[in-house]
Amino acid sequence: MSVPALEVTRLSYRWPDGSVALDDVSFTVAPGERVGLVGPNGAGKSTLLLHLNGLLPEPLPAASAVKVFGTPVTAANAAAVRADVGLLFQDADDQLFCPTVGEDVAYGPRQRGVRGDALAARVAAELARVGLADAADRPPHRLSAGEKRRACLAGVLACDARLLALDEPTSALDPRSRRALRDLLLALPVACLVASHDLEFVVEVCPRVLVLDRGGVVACGPTREVLDDAATMEAHGLERPHILRHPHPHAG
Amino acid sequence: MSPRAPGAPGRRRVPAGPALALAVATVVVVVALPRGAWLVYALVGAAVLGAAAVARVRPRDVARRLVVAAPFVAGVAGLAFLQRGGAVVAGTLVAKSAVCVLAMAALTAATPFADLLDVLRRLRVPALLVTTLGLTERYLAVIGAEVARLRRARRARTFARSRRAAWTSAAGVAAHLFVRTTVRAERIHAAMTARGAR
Amino acid sequence: MHLPDGFLDAPTALAAAALATAGLAVGLRGVRRTLPPHRVPLLGTAAAFVFAAQMLNFPVAAGTSGHLVGATLATVLLGPFAAVVALTCVVVLQALLFQDGGVTALGANVLNMAVVAPAVAAAVHGGVARALGGGPRARLAATGFAAWCSTVAAAVACAGELAAAGTAAWGAVLPAMAGVHMLVGLGEGVATTLVVAAVGRLRPELVAPVAGPRTPATGPTVAGGLVVALVFAVFVAPAACGWPDGLEHVADALGFSRAARAPALAAPWGDYLVPGLGGGAAATAAAGALGAVVAFVVASVVAWRVAPRAPGRAP
Repeated sequence: MSVPALEVTRLSYRWPDGSVALDDVSFTVAPGERVGLVGPNGAGKSTLLLHLNGLLPEPLPAASAVKVFGTPVTAANAAAVRADVGLLFQDADDQLFCPTVGEDVAYGPRQRGVRGDALAARVAAELARVGLADAADRPPHRLSAGEKRRACLAGVLACDARLLALDEPTSALDPRSRRALRDLLLALPVACLVASHDLEFVVEVCPRVLVLDRGGVVACGPTREVLDDAATMEAHGLERPHILRHPHPHAG
Repeated sequence: MSPRAPGAPGRRRVPAGPALALAVATVVVVVALPRGAWLVYALVGAAVLGAAAVARVRPRDVARRLVVAAPFVAGVAGLAFLQRGGAVVAGTLVAKSAVCVLAMAALTAATPFADLLDVLRRLRVPALLVTTLGLTERYLAVIGAEVARLRRARRARTFARSRRAAWTSAAGVAAHLFVRTTVRAERIHAAMTARGAR
Repeated sequence: MHLPDGFLDAPTALAAAALATAGLAVGLRGVRRTLPPHRVPLLGTAAAFVFAAQMLNFPVAAGTSGHLVGATLATVLLGPFAAVVALTCVVVLQALLFQDGGVTALGANVLNMAVVAPAVAAAVHGGVARALGGGPRARLAATGFAAWCSTVAAAVACAGELAAAGTAAWGAVLPAMAGVHMLVGLGEGVATTLVVAAVGRLRPELVAPVAGPRTPATGPTVAGGLVVALVFAVFVAPAACGWPDGLEHVADALGFSRAARAPALAAPWGDYLVPGLGGGAAATAAAGALGAVVAFVVASVVAWRVAPRAPGRAP
């Protein structure tokens, strides 16, 4: 089997105040695989995502429990790993920090030395891929929530990310934007780790799911099986998604 | 919060470099004109008015800007009456400042802010300053919306109407806002780092 | 206090722009040296915060209300160098996007509101806080008084530029600007103190005194404030020449040597108020001193009421 896109082995993390954020977490994600990450508030989902491209722990250790495409996330490898991992933050406004959408998409490639026509072509291609071809000159605060989310996605895809880590990608999206995001993710050839409370979205997008509670993995397996287990779900502050209770004739 | 929408449909887009140069040149010329040259003020004013119309400046925006500046202009113009020829000085101040406000309003309506930043960058303004200007403009709307939400939340559970309560409440909103601002700055830094900034 | 276009002549505008550029250069250099890279985005968001904080109303009387200017707030919360950069961005954007302040007067506006105001605020805040013992209450009282001083100093700077440009007579514009802003400064002082105290309750580490053996920035800051004040005195002095008794009053004032007193009290404004009204120099000085005393008392009372009560909170 090829090198996994993500390999987490016995990862633990404590906040500076000593409370446990992640407790002995292990799992792998294959290249191109989409995995859901669900769990109640404070389960450690966002903290886990921050570990993927070395934003946590601070400072980065010499040896790491997280490997991205075989490369451990250490201080020495941070730059290479960050290029591989595209992190989509919960609040799109945090991520779109440039004056225009086009400049924002250009930010990542520019940090890696891409310039001139190559950069312009790259930006145009990524914006077209997410359906924002005409938005390059628009300031981010004039975008709708769904457009902002897709602009963020273009920004991380422009970094050549091979693994996407998405933190609550559907928050604040209306049904149409949510659908557009789902179709976009299904069409992308990259591995995805989707942390979300939107269990319907996880069912639709991720064939496999990981349930996290109090920093530990409490269940892992095919999404429809794991999320259909009412006892597990309720024990960890979750609910069986509606979509599984009344299977849609076309979704079966 | 931001009244302008350059680049938005219905607005005309002008190359930022020449536009900025033209606007600043106009302002400099107006400022350099001698006192009491009423006819020249009127001519330049008419030209700028034409430019503003072409740039589709909203009259409401200009009016609001003039009103904001009015107390200061009136105060200083009033003081000017204390010197010899005060009426001319006062009239000149009011006329010049109004023409200049109009010229700059035309500029901001015609050129997107990102283009102005590009011009500054090409003029060798320090990168740290240009970046900070860009971030400030970017987060004006975001933080402005946050103020509105915090104020509404406060008002929803404020029943006392005393002045002291109002001050404490406004200060509380500002404090919350600042804390959120620092947290947001950390997240922006994380987003920058995640995309390769060093 | 935003000077529009057309209020300053070319020499004054250029001189002010040169001073502003120098002050900004010091600020940028200080930021590059002292601000850790992960705090750099804070400059931009904090500038946006100052903008937003200016939207909050503080009711004064009879339906009127004032708002924060925020120079001292930025100085206390971010440190003087970062405050200079952030406030410069605020002033530049106000001119470029909202036509609040002219482009030819941009140098003067940056000088008054983004260089003089934070420099004076930092000098007064540091000096008074240390003189009062450095505890939380002392720092809050210093905050309020610094806000008053910096507001008045910026107004005096603005008056100086107007006088230098020949737009208004020094003898008229100084008492007018200083007088109005001595009142405005009281509100700014109280509001700034309330905000800093509230930030301290939410996140004490954001307003705590910087740990470690003596802040490296304090010395240069105080010196910087004094230099700015001195440069300003030199810059304002020629303006006073145009009026019969201006020069001798300035000479008087400089000979007055108030520097012997507590530096915080003397530096920012003491010298300026003296050459004010023709023949009324003593009265103006007395008015200024009285204003300062009132401001200091108000700042202390407010600090007393809003400071954390816990006795164990000493630095």
